[in-house]
Amino acid sequence: MRIRPFEYYTAINQSDVLDKLAKYGPDTKVVAGGTDLVLAMKRKTILPRVVVSLHKVRELDFVREEDSRVCIGALTRHADLAMNTTLNDNFPILCEAVSLIGSWQIRNVATIGGNLCNASPAADSAPPLLALDARVVIASSEGEDEIPLSSFFTGPGATVLKSNQLLKEIVVERPKTRSAGCYLKLMRKKAGDLSLVGVAFQAETDQAGEKLARVAIGLGGVAPTPVRSPETEAMLTGLSYDEAIKEIPEAARAAVRATSPIADIRASADYRRTIVEIYVRRAAEKILGTLFNGEDIQK
Amino acid sequence: MKVRINVIVNGEKHHLEVKPNHTLVDVLREELSLTGTKKGCGSGKCGSCTVLMDGRPVNSCLILAPQADGREVVTIEGLAGREPHPLQKAFAEKGAIQCGYCAPGMILTAKALLDVNPNPQEEEIRFAIAGNLCRCTGYSKTVEAIRSCANSSRNNRPSAGRKAYA
Amino acid sequence: MRDLDVVGQSYPQIDAMEKAMGKTKFVSDLALPNMLYGRILRSPYAHARIKHIDISKAKSLTGVKAVVAYADTPGIKFGPRTEDWTILASDKVRFCGDEVAAVAAVDEDIAEGALDLIKVEYEELPMVSDPLEAMEPDVPLIHEDKPGNIAFEFKIDVGDVDEAFKNSYVIYEDRYYTNQVYQAYLEPMGAIADVDLSGRITFWVGTQIPNMMRMTYAKAMGVSPDSIRVIVPDYGGAFGAKMENNVHLVAAVLAQKAGYPVKMINTRHDDFIAGNPRVPMYIDIKLGATREGILTGKEVRVVGGAGARVVYAHAIVATACYRADSLYRFKHVRSKGYTVYTNTVPTSCFRGFGNAQMTFVLESALDTIADQLDIDPAELRIKNGIGPDEVSIHGWIINSCGLKDCISKATEAAKWQEKRQLKKPFRGIGISCCNHVSGNRAFAREFDGAGGIVRIGRDGRVTVYAGESDMGQGQKTVFAQIVAERLGVPLNLVHVAIVDTDFSPFGLGSFATRGTLMGGNGVLAAADDAFKQLADVAAEMLEANPNDIECSNEKFFVKGSPERNVPFKDVTEKATFVRYGSPVVGTGFYNPGTELPDAETKYGNISPAYPFACQVAEVEVDPDTGQIKVLNFVAAHDIGRAINPMATEGQIQGGVIQGLGWALMENMVTENGSIANPDFLDYLIPTALDSPNITPILVEPIESSGPYGAKGIGEPALNPAMSAITNAIYNATGIRIKELPVSAEKILKELKKRPK
Repeated sequence: MRIRPFEYYTAINQSDVLDKLAKYGPDTKVVAGGTDLVLAMKRKTILPRVVVSLHKVRELDFVREEDSRVCIGALTRHADLAMNTTLNDNFPILCEAVSLIGSWQIRNVATIGGNLCNASPAADSAPPLLALDARVVIASSEGEDEIPLSSFFTGPGATVLKSNQLLKEIVVERPKTRSAGCYLKLMRKKAGDLSLVGVAFQAETDQAGEKLARVAIGLGGVAPTPVRSPETEAMLTGLSYDEAIKEIPEAARAAVRATSPIADIRASADYRRTIVEIYVRRAAEKILGTLFNGEDIQK
Repeated sequence: MKVRINVIVNGEKHHLEVKPNHTLVDVLREELSLTGTKKGCGSGKCGSCTVLMDGRPVNSCLILAPQADGREVVTIEGLAGREPHPLQKAFAEKGAIQCGYCAPGMILTAKALLDVNPNPQEEEIRFAIAGNLCRCTGYSKTVEAIRSCANSSRNNRPSAGRKAYA
Repeated sequence: MRDLDVVGQSYPQIDAMEKAMGKTKFVSDLALPNMLYGRILRSPYAHARIKHIDISKAKSLTGVKAVVAYADTPGIKFGPRTEDWTILASDKVRFCGDEVAAVAAVDEDIAEGALDLIKVEYEELPMVSDPLEAMEPDVPLIHEDKPGNIAFEFKIDVGDVDEAFKNSYVIYEDRYYTNQVYQAYLEPMGAIADVDLSGRITFWVGTQIPNMMRMTYAKAMGVSPDSIRVIVPDYGGAFGAKMENNVHLVAAVLAQKAGYPVKMINTRHDDFIAGNPRVPMYIDIKLGATREGILTGKEVRVVGGAGARVVYAHAIVATACYRADSLYRFKHVRSKGYTVYTNTVPTSCFRGFGNAQMTFVLESALDTIADQLDIDPAELRIKNGIGPDEVSIHGWIINSCGLKDCISKATEAAKWQEKRQLKKPFRGIGISCCNHVSGNRAFAREFDGAGGIVRIGRDGRVTVYAGESDMGQGQKTVFAQIVAERLGVPLNLVHVAIVDTDFSPFGLGSFATRGTLMGGNGVLAAADDAFKQLADVAAEMLEANPNDIECSNEKFFVKGSPERNVPFKDVTEKATFVRYGSPVVGTGFYNPGTELPDAETKYGNISPAYPFACQVAEVEVDPDTGQIKVLNFVAAHDIGRAINPMATEGQIQGGVIQGLGWALMENMVTENGSIANPDFLDYLIPTALDSPNITPILVEPIESSGPYGAKGIGEPALNPAMSAITNAIYNATGIRIKELPVSAEKILKELKKRPK
């Protein structure tokens, strides 16, 4: 498993990356943590002519609070995200999800930008970020653009990124009211597996704390890209605790309609659908308990 | 095409010319003859090639050689001082070593765990070493060995919290 | 027997610190001057005719020192038992991964790059990957001389099975499937091969069977066994897989051609697609019992998939057919076994050797019968279990037998009674037993037994040579403890050499749970011999009769007068000098006195001792997702005396987790003739989080044939684990698992079939 030779550059900062992307064109790959790309190069499924390493681009490794939002640099590693205080305070759902990626060794080098750009339908950071209505900042030598994450993925392994563009940061609005979220991941063993199904469930109450003002569900591993489940979200939004509890079974079934899972050696499509329903139900019950009954309260 | 890198390995500065399509494990084993770092799967799934990079366990089979530039790497050969590290002794004494092929990586991961969490509970140990596969021991004695070093690790900083090693 | 000083103590492996410090040189760490790196071009097709191979472009690549195809090999058909191998494919390829050509180059990049330059023209042939299908008429033949793709048939028929079934109150009949699983040792297979000017070939290779390998490879290379030297450095696990494999021979052919040593280590991908995974088996079982739960008769039909070469599959199928019959007091059994070629990777030995497969099936069947008869499953096993000093249906002389002790201790530790009676929903507890061998006369070709050499230096240091290699199980440490005990010296004076066919005795190897009993007896006999030589010298020094000389704590003394003593190393030094430098070398051997089973009836005592076990698992099933959690696991093992209790526990814990992996997650999936999951991403082995704590219990009836009373432990540690878990799942859910592994998805599918 040797990697075929390629031209190599270490980028020293963001503008250097963008210059190199503009210069070397479509056969160029940027490598962040490398846990996906290096493996793909070993397997010869990706054979770049030029590789630009981002390991010296320190300016994109950050978690920054800005007024109503939190910005996450694309080169922030999963292990750092998982223990970041700001994120744990505001979006524990994201910390939970990324702490289940790969192994400790992987999380120590793999970055959130890499996870998103690799665009695996099963990427664990995507469902929580989708559920948080995250936006991504895309940079090129011509300027920057901010788009919703929901329009970033275009298919398995594919994104809107052009060959001269770089995913620079991820932006998430801070919840305005009481919020809670959780991520449930189906694996075939207890660690080190891809998510066969990933369910991110995020909810906020209204100002009075009596009703669900916002419900958002991100689903991974069950469609060509990570997806939301608008139907389920609509069924639960606006409901009180008692109403929502009653509605959960039906809403969980509705979540399945947002999916179009494949069958592979990891699981059948049917099993994936079943688990979506079960996990949406379990996640909803748990989060409702947290929001309204103070069970297992998160910071 | 070769790339110049400066890397500190086991406390020693090295100026190397590496092929960018080689990975850190190739450099350690082939250029520096540090064969204590093992190749088990080449795909970041078994943890045999674990080394500490800037104090953190990483799979050296997935790191391109030039990405080690400016880093500090510790391999199993660099863990011990004049005396073996307490974890090395504990692994031997508690029977956590059978074929020993996973041991260098496993011990380094355990070392990093105890650095951030000097008194880990059993579940925390199992979570931390889940990226180091062992096919011989069934992990019972591995966990026992790591537990026996809890609190006795030299670096006794307070735990950085629940997800410190996530 | 006097009290023991070293045997029975929990020492760390004698080389554990070397391993912990990263100093151990494993096969893949070794390098020789001017060494080249080899790579194999493997077949992308499961079955195809090779029309043309062009290696010219690869040859001309800078840095390439040799390129070989079939024409460059000796072209001899060979194999460990069945001569259905060639070193590189001749006219056709028979599995995805079959060795077609190979390259040696100055570095790995060039070697791998050169493979792309070899052009092979194939004509695809129809293929078959399922052994049952392979037996059907009109299926393409994989080896033209084997009609029906049947490589071997095995038959055994003892007593009157039909009559026994007539006299049964219950009869259980079903089909089971045990899947193909991979040993997943952490160091991939490989070797360094070097050829000297006389043509003598040296292999540095991790192998369980250095001497048998040498014989097989001598045939393959067209040389005499003595012109092959096999050196076995430390190596990273084997679990049955590291016997013979073409990867070593290809290295030798390249070394011959290039004139330099060649290192050839499998990538993990190579190892998955061209290693020797477990023989998958379809097993039909029919089992009868009386109303009281006495087993009446057993009939099985086993169809084992050998893949494209037999390797040892025929012996594995035979073992599945009849070994487990000696666990209980069967009187009437009938088995038919078929070893069938398929277009898949050749399958072979994996801890348990066919008995693991059948133990899963028999113990599942027993569990069902217990349920049908409403008898406690533990009770049913005690009722039928074989005991000490009995002779089994196949003539196996059971000396020591702690089976019933194992059952009572395991059930007690697992709170069996309580958990069965106060059963909670979706929780269950299951039991399984097994028997095994410590050496297998039916397997070894030349003999069974072992030799040993104990050499004692002038300074009193002891070096032990045996034929049983240490693959990580701790064989060296066990030998060192046995020899230290016999000589009366501390363990740190004893060194155990790696196996090297230039120096070590002709040993059969580390398989069939034979290392400790056979090899241990061999080195014990050698230690005896060395001791006698030293006792003669000590007797002279102490002016006593040699027969009265004993040694302990590194001092020779006169029996009954410990004050008349002389230090061990004074004696060894004197011994060396009075013999004009001739070293003190003790040699010895162990003849187990076992029998080659009768060709027709298979009657004959194949092993000097039989280990037994009982394992109890407790599980919880998630009714919504089907996920299974193993909550508790107790493993009680009759191992005779544990030479090293900590090492024995380690064997048990590791074996159980391998069994747990097989039961719950491990599966090599073949799709369109190729392995669909040749990596650790999709071939799942348990992580630390998947592994419950295993409680090992050592049951130690002293075995008269064993060194200091010991029997073996390697394979029985795994054999019962799968059915202990699946029987617990049955107890939890009523679902009878008949196909391994049990995925959460399968459980949920079964649960959904239930009326709510």
